[in-house]
Amino acid sequence: MAISAADVRSALSIPEGNATAGPSQPKKHLPQNARKPDGISRELYSLIGPSAPSLAAQLAKPRLKQKPNFGGGTAKTRWELRPFKNGARQDNLELWHWEKVTSDPPTEYAFAKYNTQSTTYIYSQDEYTRFLDDKEWTKEETDYLFSVVQDYDSRWYIIYDRYDFPGGPTRSLEDLKDRYYSVCRKLVRNRPWAGDEASKAQLISSFQFDKEREMTRKKYIISLENRTPDQIAEEEALYIEVKRLEHNERKFKKERESLLRTLAGIDSGLPDIVEDDGTQMGISNEKTTTKGATTKKKGGQPTDVDSPATPSVASTPALKRPSTTKNAVYDATHCIIRTEPPTSGVATKAAHQPAYLRSFKLPTPKAAIAPKITQALAELGISHSRLVMPTRENTAQLEALLDATTALIETKRVMDKVEYDIQVLKNRLGMREASQAATDVEMKQENTGDAEGSNFGETGGENEDGEDGRAQSVMSARSARNRKHPRRSVSVSSVDTASTRAGVKRQKKN
Amino acid sequence: MVNYGGDEVSALVVDIGSSSVRAGYAGDDTPKAIIPTSYGYIPKLPDTDVDMSDSTQENAPQAENSRFAKIFVGQNGPSVWRSGMEIGNPIVEGLIHDFAPIKPLIDHALSKVMLINPSEHPILVTEPTWNTPANRERMAEIMFEEFNVPAFYIANTGVLNAFAAGKGSALVIDIGQSMASVTPVVDGFVLRKGLSYSPLPKLVHAHARHLLTSPTQIRRGIDLLPHQLIASKAVVDANALPQFTIREDRIAGTTQKWRNWAETREVDEWLQTIAGVLDQGWNDQQAASKPSRQYEFPTGYNTFFGAERFLVGEQYFTHNPQLVASNPNLPKTLPALITEALRACDPELRQVLMGNVVLTGGGSLFSGLADRLSAELTRTFPHTKIHAPGNPIERRYGGWLGGSILASLGTFHQLWISREEWQEHGKAIVGQRCK
Ligand SMILES: Nc1ncnc2c1ncn2[C@@H]1O[C@H](COP(=O)(O)OP(=O)(O)OP(=O)(O)O)[C@@H](O)[C@H]1O
Ligand SMILES: [Mg+2]
Repeated sequence: MAISAADVRSALSIPEGNATAGPSQPKKHLPQNARKPDGISRELYSLIGPSAPSLAAQLAKPRLKQKPNFGGGTAKTRWELRPFKNGARQDNLELWHWEKVTSDPPTEYAFAKYNTQSTTYIYSQDEYTRFLDDKEWTKEETDYLFSVVQDYDSRWYIIYDRYDFPGGPTRSLEDLKDRYYSVCRKLVRNRPWAGDEASKAQLISSFQFDKEREMTRKKYIISLENRTPDQIAEEEALYIEVKRLEHNERKFKKERESLLRTLAGIDSGLPDIVEDDGTQMGISNEKTTTKGATTKKKGGQPTDVDSPATPSVASTPALKRPSTTKNAVYDATHCIIRTEPPTSGVATKAAHQPAYLRSFKLPTPKAAIAPKITQALAELGISHSRLVMPTRENTAQLEALLDATTALIETKRVMDKVEYDIQVLKNRLGMREASQAATDVEMKQENTGDAEGSNFGETGGENEDGEDGRAQSVMSARSARNRKHPRRSVSVSSVDTASTRAGVKRQKKN
Repeated sequence: MVNYGGDEVSALVVDIGSSSVRAGYAGDDTPKAIIPTSYGYIPKLPDTDVDMSDSTQENAPQAENSRFAKIFVGQNGPSVWRSGMEIGNPIVEGLIHDFAPIKPLIDHALSKVMLINPSEHPILVTEPTWNTPANRERMAEIMFEEFNVPAFYIANTGVLNAFAAGKGSALVIDIGQSMASVTPVVDGFVLRKGLSYSPLPKLVHAHARHLLTSPTQIRRGIDLLPHQLIASKAVVDANALPQFTIREDRIAGTTQKWRNWAETREVDEWLQTIAGVLDQGWNDQQAASKPSRQYEFPTGYNTFFGAERFLVGEQYFTHNPQLVASNPNLPKTLPALITEALRACDPELRQVLMGNVVLTGGGSLFSGLADRLSAELTRTFPHTKIHAPGNPIERRYGGWLGGSILASLGTFHQLWISREEWQEHGKAIVGQRCK
């Protein structure tokens, strides 16, 4: 019952003329001369035919750019599995690894150079009997100690762990260190020395070991560890109390400062109390001390002479400082570093400072601008939240760095504000000039003066951390302006400048 | 290449634990071959001389191995039921106790799974801290004399776990299948005096098994029959009696050892699937408030486990006073192990170590264990930092991973004990080189 198209046509009496339209008819091919242009698919072309030249032009194959040759025209790098010998080995072990094929002569194994040996002291029997005899130690045990020290490259915890001299008494880590270093010192002292005295003294001091002090220190650590939760809680409570007192003090000082300024137009000259976010007791104390010192020096400046001599608790710590020369010498020889009690000075037990491990109380930036500081330091590739070796100097350095960064960020903020102010004022000025060109001469002078003031900095000494000169001059301009129009906000910025300076100074000393 | 200090010499790393033998290329992040340490064997009868040339399975040609007529290792070793097959495990308390199956095990992992020739590769093997000098020397001997390796090194799992965590100093808490250990590592060396370990995981396992097989008010003791012995089973409601048919044909040929091994696996499965530990210490209400979970055993029996599933994990941290009274030699709990390890360390080191705790081993994947440990430790040491990789492979095979890192370092290649050195110095070189 197949019905062809022709049957349908005849039934519907449609003329037979355009036979090509029916799909059942063999399709007549398009004229051969209209070749399919490039960039258009055959199916699409047969649908739309050659009647769309503009389309074909658009679809013409795009000419691609030449592939860049990053290799600089060199041939492919070839790698080869090769045997190699390690110069750090005593034997002839050959291992295989993949190497770049080069025409260079074979080189020393790249990792052999990391095989470093530390120098160890060897003594003769004669030297032992003359200098090194010790009733606590036999020569055999001393020899054993030296061999273990060499085996474990002076890693003392490991030496102590592995130390096992048959028949010898039990030795503490301090005993071992003491014996080893004292032998080294004696050897250096008694042998002929080729270099100068200074280098000899330096070498000897590098072998310095104070057993008593080490043991006391360990005892302190243990007692610190053995605090009961109650004791810790009490410390915590006291700490909060100190913070509260400090806060009150600060508030009091601020109020008085502003009173003095508004009434008498002078600075009180009282020591600043540092603000911090309450996590770093020890650091805050160190800071306060240095601040106290700076203010003491400032005290000689004429501006402070006529400040009212208010009996103030806050100014006393500078006087209380125990600085007799005898003490200082004693401290220096025993590496004791005294930190001042908090300057709040109120004689409560809240003034007590608990012992702490320095690494737990690293300085942290002010909470409010902490993210900015982190970002700024991150740009320099520094992470401030971790100190590999939190010595006192390093903590001070870190603190100085944070101070400097804080000052930098503060300065930047102030600068932005001032620039904005300038912009606004300039605009206003422009508008005024336009409207009343001749009238307001006085006003014009003042405004331009203010704006131009920002270009003349008075100091240039604190180029810390890439602080750019521009920001700095803005800062000083600001302080110059502040002197003219004392306002409340001044105290904040002066605190910051002071702290930066203190930080820089301390850093230079180290 | 020199930048990160790596230089790969296609060394192999082999880590043998109680549960599995891990082997792979140094420099990879996952072992290529992980096969069970347990092996099946058909014991050799005292007087018959069994034909040794078996073509399908690993054979033990050495005289010392001749107590096995046949030995079956690898994925199709112990887990495939065979008539008369016994199960053995060479590891006792983390140490290799029986060296006879060690060669077939390592050989299977290297030649059958990794498809390599061990005599072409330097091999680094791991050992627990409490390994004996005799044991490590024996291992060196096997490697040089039987596998003909060009170079060998044996490294401590504690140190390797610390390396895997990227640390030179750490307190490594490793909970494996048979042993839990706490190892202080300083500057890449173990402090042997601070090591403490106990077969705690075994106790947890025994506790779980007891809990499952003893009857309670709501259920009878659970039958831990493995699926290899079950022909068919029907779906039943929770707590209903299971309906299954046993493969009677196999019962007679099933050895006691194999049955015990298979049941142990069922208990392990249960432990890994639904057991856990509360993260803030035992608390009846809290345990009761946790949702109970359904579990189906191979017999088709299924039931809901509530608070009891947390009771099991509690064994890691506290011992029931009654149990202590009746059994004075209980393995030490994790807190006890940690305290003991720290007490033996220099006071100055304790803070450093607690700031670098590394939690590793398959047992530490036990649900809730890491959180609980962290809660317990921060209570006594507020500055505790626990490094526990979230990736289970990294956590379970930390020892292997550390070995993989170590053996691919350029600076390490001077430490290998070469064949030449072995021939010249003999066994003594092992103790001298691998400190
Ligand atoms: N997700 C999981 N939850 C609980 N336990 C697990 C989990 N995964 C693995 N385990 C357990 O970890 C154990 C195996 O751990 P691992 O591979 O570290 O042991 P091992 O190193 O072979 O043994 P050992 O260190 O005792 O010699 C097994 O007992 C297994 O039950
Ligand atoms: Mg293990």
